[in-house]
Formats: sequence, C-alpha cells, structure tokens
Amino acid sequence: MLEIRNLWVSYGGLPVLRDVSLTLARGESLAVVGESGAGKTTLGLSILGLVEGECRGEIIWRGKNLLALSEEELRRLRGREIAMVFQNVETALHPLYAVCDQVAEAMVVHGLGKGEAADRALALLERVGLRPDRARAYPHQLSGGEKQRALLALALANDPEVLVLDEPTASLDPRTKGEIVGLLLEMVRDRITLVITHDLAAAARLAGQMAVLYAGRLVEAGPAADLMRDPRHPYTRGLLRAYPHLATTKDLQGIPGRMEHGVEGCPFHPRCTQRLEACAVRAPSPVPAGGRTLACHRGGIVPLLEVRGIAKSFGAFRLLRGVNLTLYEGETLALVGESGSGKTTLARIVMGLTAADEGEILLEGQKVEKRTPEFYARVQMVFQQPGESLSHRLNVLQAVKEPLDVQQRGTEEERLSVVKRVLAEVELPCDDGFLKKYPHQLSGGEVQRVAIARALVLEPKLLIADEPTAALDASVQAKVLKLLLDLQEKRGLAILFITHDLAVARKVSDRVAVMLEGRIVEEGPTWEVMASPAHPLTRSLLTWAGPQLPPAWARRGSWPAHEEFSGPGRPSAGAVSSR
Amino acid sequence: MLRDRPFATYVLAVFVILSLNFILPRLMPGDPLLAIYGEEALLAMSPELKEELVRRFSLDRPLSAQFLAYLAALFRGDLGHSYYFNAPVSRVLLGFLPWTLLLTGLALCLCAALGVVLGIESGARRGRPQDAVLLSAALFLGGFPDFFAGTLLLLFFGVTLGVAPLAGALTPYAGKAGLSLVLDVLHHLTLPLLTLVVVRVGPFYLLTRNTMVTTLGEAFILTARAKGCPDRTVRYRHAGRHSLLPVVTAAGLQYAHLITGALFVEMVFSYPGMGTLLYRALLTRDYPLIQGILLTAALAVLTVNFLLELVYVKVDPRVVRAR
Repeated sequence: MLEIRNLWVSYGGLPVLRDVSLTLARGESLAVVGESGAGKTTLGLSILGLVEGECRGEIIWRGKNLLALSEEELRRLRGREIAMVFQNVETALHPLYAVCDQVAEAMVVHGLGKGEAADRALALLERVGLRPDRARAYPHQLSGGEKQRALLALALANDPEVLVLDEPTASLDPRTKGEIVGLLLEMVRDRITLVITHDLAAAARLAGQMAVLYAGRLVEAGPAADLMRDPRHPYTRGLLRAYPHLATTKDLQGIPGRMEHGVEGCPFHPRCTQRLEACAVRAPSPVPAGGRTLACHRGGIVPLLEVRGIAKSFGAFRLLRGVNLTLYEGETLALVGESGSGKTTLARIVMGLTAADEGEILLEGQKVEKRTPEFYARVQMVFQQPGESLSHRLNVLQAVKEPLDVQQRGTEEERLSVVKRVLAEVELPCDDGFLKKYPHQLSGGEVQRVAIARALVLEPKLLIADEPTAALDASVQAKVLKLLLDLQEKRGLAILFITHDLAVARKVSDRVAVMLEGRIVEEGPTWEVMASPAHPLTRSLLTWAGPQLPPAWARRGSWPAHEEFSGPGRPSAGAVSSR
Repeated sequence: MLRDRPFATYVLAVFVILSLNFILPRLMPGDPLLAIYGEEALLAMSPELKEELVRRFSLDRPLSAQFLAYLAALFRGDLGHSYYFNAPVSRVLLGFLPWTLLLTGLALCLCAALGVVLGIESGARRGRPQDAVLLSAALFLGGFPDFFAGTLLLLFFGVTLGVAPLAGALTPYAGKAGLSLVLDVLHHLTLPLLTLVVVRVGPFYLLTRNTMVTTLGEAFILTARAKGCPDRTVRYRHAGRHSLLPVVTAAGLQYAHLITGALFVEMVFSYPGMGTLLYRALLTRDYPLIQGILLTAALAVLTVNFLLELVYVKVDPRVVRAR
C-alpha cells in the first residue's frame, strides 16, 4: 500500500502541491487528472523522490517515509520497486543508446549481470510488442508508439510494484493509443498504478479510481466512473464539459478565467460560479461525501432548484402527478415532452404563477413559501409567446428596465446602461430609436430577444425558458442559445429549458427529463439518454426529432485491417472533378 | 549533396588549398620566381640555376600545364628546395613535423579529455562554488596569450625551480635509447605541453559545461535517474556522453588554434617543431619552406578534422542513418 499524507511540494517557496493525501492499494489504479500546471507530474515525481523542490508531509511505502530516505536509499528503490513512465515520448529515451541497452541498464544498475540483463531486456521488449530487430534500434528509428512501448518496458524492467504513468497515451494516434491502453491494462495488473493524464477517456479506461487536482490541491476523488458520470465539484464538471468525446451532445464549454497558483482560500474560487465569501478565506479540506472525497465549502455543486412531489389537478383532470426534479447550479436541464404533458404548468408553479395542490419548491435548499422580490431577483422566466408576455403599452426601454425599477436597483442612468448592455448581449440595437419602439413595431425574433433581455437584466441565477427560441429562425436561435450557454459558463446560470425539440435540447442541456402525462418517465445525462433512450416515449421523440445519423456510424468493432481503408471512401469534390 | 559525403568535402578542401598554394605566388606582381624565392635569393642565382628553376616549375609553359606539373611534383613529395637548409623542403619538414605532431596531438587529446571531465563535473555542480571557481579559472587562463603563459612557466619551472629543461626536445648527444629516451622526450615535452593545455583547455571545458547544463535538463536524464542509475552513471554515461557530441565537432576547429598556439610555444621553448622552423624560415625568407609549412599545417588540420568526423559517426548513431 502506498500512502501519501499531507504532501506539500514547493519550488522556490511557491507551493505546487498543497496538502495532498491519497491512498493506493495493491491492484488499484488511480488516475490523477487536471489542467496542465495543476501539479500532476510533480505528484508523480515526488513518489520517486525526483522532485527538485522542497517536500513536506509523508509518502509511506512499506512502512518507510520516502521523503525521509537518503538519496542512495531512494536510488535503490527507483526503477526496482517504484518506476515511472515519463511523458514526452520523443525525448524520454537516450538518443545515443540502443533501446534494448537502455532497458538492460535498468536491470544492471540494480545488480543483474550484463548478459542476463541483455537477454531479459530483449524478452521484455518482445512482450510489449517490439521484435528483436526493433529492440536493437536507436530511439530515432522508432515511431512514437514504439518509443512508448520501449519506455514501458524500461519501467517494467525490474517488475516494480508501483508504476507511475505520466501521460502514457498523449500524442498517439487512436489506433496506437488503443493498443497501448490494452497493453497497459495487461501490465498494470497486481501493481499499484498512478496514471497522470489530462485525457479523461484514457483515465477512465486505465484507472478505477480518479483524483482531480486543481492548482496543487485535490478537489475531488472517487471511483472514476462515478466522477465521469456525475461530477460533484464544479471544477470536475468544468473539465468534463470542456472535454469532447464522441457521444458529447452539448456544445463544449470552458471554465472562465485561468488557473493560478497561490490563491488564498479555495484555489478554484476565482473561477467558481457558486462561490461564497468563505471560499476566499480558507481552503476547504477534502472530506468523504457519498463514496468519494470532495473539497468544497458548498459540498459540491449545489442543487439550485428542487421540485418535490408537485401535483396539480384542474377539476378531475390530473395534469401533474407528483413531479420531482432537481436543477443544479450552472447546468441546463431540458424538460421535454409532448404538448399538454404539463411542462408549462410546472414552470408556472415554480414561478408562483399557479398554485400547486401538493408538493414543495426549494430554492438553494430553502423552502419557497412566498414569492418575494428577492426570489424574482434570482429566478426569472422567458415565456412561450413573447408577443403576449410583453405589454404592448411599454416600449423596449420600459419593458427591459421594469424589473430594475421594481427591484429599485441603482440610479436611473445606471439602469439605462444596464439595459443597453443586456440589449447588446442579446444582439439587439440599443440606440434611442430602438429603445422607443413598441412590441408591435418589432419582428417576432426581436420581441423574443427583448423578452430574454428582460429576464436577464436582473442577472438571475435560474432562468426558466419555456420554448424560448421556438419563434426564432435558425440563425437567431443559434445566437440566442450560444448567449445562454455563454452566460452559463461565465456566471453559472442554471437553465430549466422547456422544449419539445430534442435537437435543440441535445445541444444545450447537460441533463434531460422526459415528461409524460404529468410524470417524469426518464431522466439522465443528455448524451446517455440520446444514445440509449430507455422509455418508448423518448425513443419516439428521438425518431421524430429530425434527420438521424446513418445507423452504420454507430456500429462498433475492432480496428479494421488496413485493406478496408483502401476503398473509395467519399472523395472530396475536387478529387472527383479532377478525374 | 556534399553534406552527404564528408569525404568528398575533404577532397575538395585539399584541392582548394593546393590550388591557392599554386596560384598565390603566380598572382603576385612580377616574376613568379621572385614571389617563390624572394629578391635576394634571385639576385644570388646564377643564370643556369634560374633556367633550371624555370624548367622545373614549367614557367615556360601554359598555366594549366604548370598546374599539372605542380600537382605531379607534389605527388612525388617534391615541395621545392629550401636554400637556407640547402635541402628539399619535404626532407626538412619531415625532420621537424613529428615534434609538432607529438606536441599538438597530445595537447589536443589532453585538452579534450581534461576539458570534458572538468566540464561534466562543473556542469553537474552548476552554480555551486566548485563550478564558479573552475569557470573563473578557465576564463582567466583562457585570456593568456600562449607565449606569455609559456614564458611564465619557463621562468618558474625552468629557471627558478630548475626542474624542467630550458630548451629542445631531447638532451643532445646523450645517446639515450629505449625507455630513457622516451622519458627524456617527455621531460622536454612537459612544459610546452602544459602551456598549451592550460591556455587551450578553456573552450573544451566551457563547451562541455554549457552543453552539460542543457543536457541535464533533458527528459532522458530524468528517465535515467528514475531507473535508479547512480549519480556517476547519470553524469557520465547519460549526460556526459550526450555532451560529448559538440565537443568532438569543436575539437577539429580547436586543432587549428592549437597549431597556431604551438608555433609560438615552440619558439618560447626552442622546441624543434614547425613553429621554430617557420620562424627561421621567415627570418631567412625561405619562401619554399614557408609555403611547405603552411601547406602541411593546413593538411594536418584537415586530416584531424576528417578523423574526428569518423569518430563522430561512432559517437552519434543518428549520423549514420542521416546519409
């Protein structure tokens, strides 16, 4: 068992790793993920005692603290009990020695005879897929994949118990990557493995456990599959949102700002959209939370809106039959279903425009009893029919400014500048002429954007959007959706997106809930629901949603032989015309 | 294309040198014989001798024929006649050349070996006191002119301490043989060699040290350390070997400087090498001899460079495949 306890590493007084604690058991594989500069490689190097900076804390291996060992004692461990495969395949091998000699040297320095070491090196290289003629070659004669294999053989030379893999699949093509991952899976069995990577897909395949490192601190750790499917720390979610895989449906989103070391308090708080004042004061310590470890003052991504057991009947007609929904901070939940399934009524109940028969609404954990101005400052809605939701007696300026007047925010000039800024954000003109226009003088698209501007002018945390783009043509719809996602990225805007258009829901939502006759019949991550819908209604909705991918695309199998690539394919227009 | 075939480059270089040696005296104003032998020699010459020389250099034939005759003469080892020694230039050269080759060859080997070892140790201790001391010493000594350093050493060891001979390469008329001859030669060689090494080791040291500093930051050094290689192995087998590459290339260039240095050092120590010979030839304006010396020096530098190129191929496996 390898145990890292409260490890601090700093270079020249600047901490790169802060208070990292991890435990790795035999046969267990842990992936450390995070942006470049998060301290991942430093963590790997510190286990081998190769860090140039100052270390504090303990790394316990076989009852000994590795940080307290002498250089000579460490040297004896390196390569023999603890080995590392470095990133930078191109430069990690010595350019002047044949690969097999480099592998053999790893054994010779730990006391094996030269002849035997040479034989074993060749055998080992063969096992990782390098034939003897390739094994005797120099690094410059090998491809990237072959070098990666050689590096792996080098690390495995003395059959180490702890293996640190630093970006083992970076810069490899998909086929080689697949082969290397397969090889690694076979080789890391029964060892303690630490995989350092920013490639989440590789991490998920190689490791059962995952730890997310941000600016030298551990922010979330737990089973890899859980973390990938249901990230709890805002940073983990940010990473996943920025990382494309083939099933990704939502537009890629970044994380605002950039990583900085040496931030007071929680390292992520300057980029976090749900930060509190406490976050800037003191760093949260990692605490166990439902099968994983989480370091967040707010206990991870907070549920912004909770809908519990809402039921509503109109006479004998039971429109809503106990609806439960949770909307988290900064996410989009798409509520889809046929017309008349109760979607809009649910939205109206949340907004307090219709009273529910049963159930309760919670906003940030507080039960909503009365709709106060503070409630509306945080929750806003864009209605389905913009023409009717805007008063025809108010011009654009008055309509957009009204919420500010009601909330008595700022002076008159400040309100005007806020209105202009928001109008610019939704790509509407903000000259006096336009501000004085009345709804009937505007096009349908403009009216809808004025309605969106009105909803956003208070900078709400939660936006309920009921078919917000149904009245817009495609190009304006694209812009409005991008704007909403942009605000989500910047401010952590949570959106309850009500639509019956699955193609739109697919591009904007993190999760999707399907409603049928007043009940939620299916709920899950959008890509999962889209890829394998469970409920017949979802399947029908998907079937009728629009043009489908050819089914052949979805077929999976092993990597085809190269002969299969030599077919005609689909030549480009230029290639056709030149024939 | 020439880069692909180093040998061809050298043949071309030799050809250019030979051509320059041929064409320069003939480009000088006036009589080529005047350019080759100088005014005084020509005045003292009898008409018969003059006729003989004109025939010998084919001066009565076209330039192309002259060039062919010149090449043919060179091929026979005929570099002309030194009238100061009253002997063929080639024979005179053969008497002096070995001493210079011994001195410069040993100096090159010692400079390279010492420079590389010091450079490796210094580079590995970058920024620490030992490194700072070595670095300052190398820069300080490297600033000495060869003859000045030679004079200082000669005064101290030869005159004050009296432990080294003051002149020559051998104890004359001692009739030594075998081991005692070798020791005698080494005894005479020590001070000139020391002078050259002290003054000329700087570039080797600096180059190795700086390459070493860069190399130690390379990823493969981390790999070596992660394997569990002891510090010495990392320093020499991994970093040192890699830092050797530019040193091999630089050694060829440095050899030219070493020969220049040797010319002065030999004079300081009255060492019977090419330097002393050149000095004498210059004083007596023995032009054929001067030309012969310069040609030999140029060829020696070229040869050493060519040999080093062969060594480089052995040191860096990547070069072979680059062809």
